[in-house]
Amino acid sequence: MFKYVLKRLLYFVPTFIVISLITFMLGQMAPGDPVELKLKGGMGGSANGQSSEKMAGEKAYMELSEKLGKNLPAFYFSITSAAYPDTLYKIPRQNERKNLDRLISMYGNWNNVADYYKNAKLLEQKLFQFSNTSLDEASYEKLKALRDNNSELFINYDKVKISESLKTIQAAAIHTTTIKTDSTHTKTIQPFIFALPEVNNLVASYTKMNTEINTSNNYKPAFHWFGLNNQYHRWLFGDVPWFGKNDNPSKVSKGFFRGDFGNSILDNRPVASILIEAVKLTLLINFFEFFLIYLIAIPLGVSLAVKKGTSYDRIVTTLNFMLYSLPAFWIATMCIIFFTNPYYGEALNLFPDHGIGKTGADFGFWEKAVDRAYHLILPMFCMLLGAFAFISRMMRGSMLNVIRQDYIRTAFAKGLEPRKVFWKHAFRNSLIPIITMFASFLPAMISGAVIIEYIFTIPAMGRISYESVVARNFPVLFTILMFAAILTMLGNLLADILYGFVDPRISLTKKA
Amino acid sequence: MATNNTSNNTSREISTQADQSYWAIVKRQFKKNKLAVWSLRIIILIITVGLLADFLANDKPLYCSYKGNTYFPVIKEYAIDMHLSKWPEELNNVVWKDLKYDAVVFAPIPYAPEKTDDKNNDYKSPMGSQEIVSTRWRHWLGTDQLGRDLLSGLIHGTRIAMLVGVVSMSIASVIGILLGSLAGYYGDEKLKISLARLILNIIGVPLAMFYAFNTRGYILEDALADSFGSFCFSFLVSFFFFLILMLIPNIITIGLKKIPFLDKKVTIPVDILISRMIEVIMSIPTLLLILSICAIVSKPSIMLIMVIIGLTGWTGIAKLIRGELLKVRSLEFIEAAQSLGYSEARILFKHAIPNSLTPVLISIAFGVAGAILAESSLSFLGIGTQADVITWGKLLSSAREYAPAWWLAIFPGFAIFVTVTIFNFVGEGLTDAIDPRLKQ
Repeated sequence: MFKYVLKRLLYFVPTFIVISLITFMLGQMAPGDPVELKLKGGMGGSANGQSSEKMAGEKAYMELSEKLGKNLPAFYFSITSAAYPDTLYKIPRQNERKNLDRLISMYGNWNNVADYYKNAKLLEQKLFQFSNTSLDEASYEKLKALRDNNSELFINYDKVKISESLKTIQAAAIHTTTIKTDSTHTKTIQPFIFALPEVNNLVASYTKMNTEINTSNNYKPAFHWFGLNNQYHRWLFGDVPWFGKNDNPSKVSKGFFRGDFGNSILDNRPVASILIEAVKLTLLINFFEFFLIYLIAIPLGVSLAVKKGTSYDRIVTTLNFMLYSLPAFWIATMCIIFFTNPYYGEALNLFPDHGIGKTGADFGFWEKAVDRAYHLILPMFCMLLGAFAFISRMMRGSMLNVIRQDYIRTAFAKGLEPRKVFWKHAFRNSLIPIITMFASFLPAMISGAVIIEYIFTIPAMGRISYESVVARNFPVLFTILMFAAILTMLGNLLADILYGFVDPRISLTKKA
Repeated sequence: MATNNTSNNTSREISTQADQSYWAIVKRQFKKNKLAVWSLRIIILIITVGLLADFLANDKPLYCSYKGNTYFPVIKEYAIDMHLSKWPEELNNVVWKDLKYDAVVFAPIPYAPEKTDDKNNDYKSPMGSQEIVSTRWRHWLGTDQLGRDLLSGLIHGTRIAMLVGVVSMSIASVIGILLGSLAGYYGDEKLKISLARLILNIIGVPLAMFYAFNTRGYILEDALADSFGSFCFSFLVSFFFFLILMLIPNIITIGLKKIPFLDKKVTIPVDILISRMIEVIMSIPTLLLILSICAIVSKPSIMLIMVIIGLTGWTGIAKLIRGELLKVRSLEFIEAAQSLGYSEARILFKHAIPNSLTPVLISIAFGVAGAILAESSLSFLGIGTQADVITWGKLLSSAREYAPAWWLAIFPGFAIFVTVTIFNFVGEGLTDAIDPRLKQ
């Protein structure tokens, strides 16, 4: 037994790795720069602002990027083409990095691409250091064009667009304007001529990149090893040391295994604190649901099995089966429409249509409990139906299986009264598969109720996951996904172990 | 010659008298279950409705004679969608209802699901009065806020529901049958390959992945940005490319096998590997996974949802067919095939798999029901469907906006319920019909 549990726990490891990889991959594919999203609108995103503002934005971006660990390589290793440098992850901004990635795939020569990028960056710096408030309107327009087109270069890989931008930049750099030196004299100057060397370098590097295309590099695979200091590792294990003191203030993540699931994108609250309330509610709902289902469904299943073949059995079994196919969200919609508003008569306006009732410290425990129960009657009814039908069907089937056995026939033959045979001999043994069933309810607790909680606006796990999808709040969503998967695995394990306990005939250690 | 003929005749007679083939037994058993048989008939009806949706509910006439010319606008629409034809000037962007025809035959429901009826907007009840010329134009199941005909929406929603079932279960069946049969047929001991093949394949897979997917990365990414359909196409091209590349190490193996050391046989525990994989897939909560993917993809579509349901829904089929093949592989006819010297692939695909497919039908029937339910839940939540696609789930969710419109709640939900139920009934009937054989 112990050996079996240990073996199953070991199986847990690869399964967990695969699931964490899937979740991590989804997170990497998620649209939008997480750093940018957190900065709310991206202060550093606008290239038109003042130079100090721009630098502040850049600094904030870098700091947050480091805090979120986005300045690290994604995974332990990477397999790319030989054209890619192993340090591409060091380019801070996600959109710039992606653009460079694209350029590399087009030109296959990292050195040239890097030159081009560096020159563009140099020009950007030069342009932002320039501050001359005494520009006429035309020149101001040109400066704006210079800055805009320059920042366009970082996010464009299309040849036509790049050469257009470059042309505009070249034209703007040699822009001439006349200014009045005093009341009578005017002077012709070129206000942006200072940037001309950078512009020329940029254009030269672009032409060089275009002439020295070496796409053959794209077909040579290359393997890069990054070590433990990567985003995936940090996500799971954190970068704060597990033992001893943390003397590096920039290391903040404790990692998934130490209960740090990141912060919500929306309000920067820790994911764990968001989920804890929802988990409490989910547990409350499921506890009562569970209790009710077993309380009604099991006796019903037994009675159906005992009366097998009668019209009572046929009708109820068929109804049960239809109940099982009943879409819960249909019933919920109907309940909302018919029982929560006065349109179909005041007599039917029985229930509240959303929420969980009174919260907060102003109300007593019982007052809150009663109100909550009142709010949860309809949603719990809707969630119950399917599971109820399923369990009673299972119970009936399992009971029928047992009744067919020889020892039941023996019990009847020796003259025991049917009541005793059914309840003492058959019932106990037919409970085995039902007990293990409850293990599979663990994961259903989270995902099963998404739609009902959405309809009734109950802030439990299902509703939270729906909201995080709509808001693209990935840290919350992926944490829920991970937990749902872990719970499923635990459920399966628990079911297997329970099976071994309640039914000693099943040998877990020996292979069947 | 004559004797040959008679023996042929007798054998035919015997087979018609008491057909004891597996299929015949299953069929007979299935036919005893009246509920399942009727469900199957209703399924056929629903599929027909889905296929003929354009002819059953359409704002264009099926046939019309207009200004001396004869048209079949519904059929013409298909040609136009395929860029084979164009509307003539006088019929371009017309309100079909208001034209003055010489002769016309409209579809039974003369409304398209997405077209609004301005005179009957703002939730017209099926019972109440409607502003219509005659009963022919009645909205039998009412309209929604914009005046879209509910019955027409339901008829066209049938198509989506059936498509979801068919596409997702096709994907699931292909994967499930392949992996399940490999696991069941080879088990943990039976697949022995040479060391050379193993090593070359281990080196080959990442390389082939690199060339098929990594170097084509931006082609795939651009296709995904374009549409999910073109992504699927590009992906299949990549996959095909991958398969071709994987041929290379396997061809080299033939040569290397001559070296005795490299020809040493290694056992591959196929069953353990695939069973682990099934367990991993099963522990991913499908609904949450679909939700996450829809949140990530910039343009989620119904096609994407079908593919995800298919990619995660094959585990049940794989488990069934694995169990079935574990039994079948030790039967005499497989032994006979082996002793005749047939290749493993031939035995597996021509003899073993075809004889263990029946239980898969059960899984497919329940799977279709589950897929339809999953898709309608998602479109009810408003996740993953384009605005112009009308589905049952979407129609049902529109009921929540306006409580007095009971017809929007009852009919679409009923359509989902009936479809899911009958597929479950068929699954149940199949289980009953196939089980006696399984228990033997």
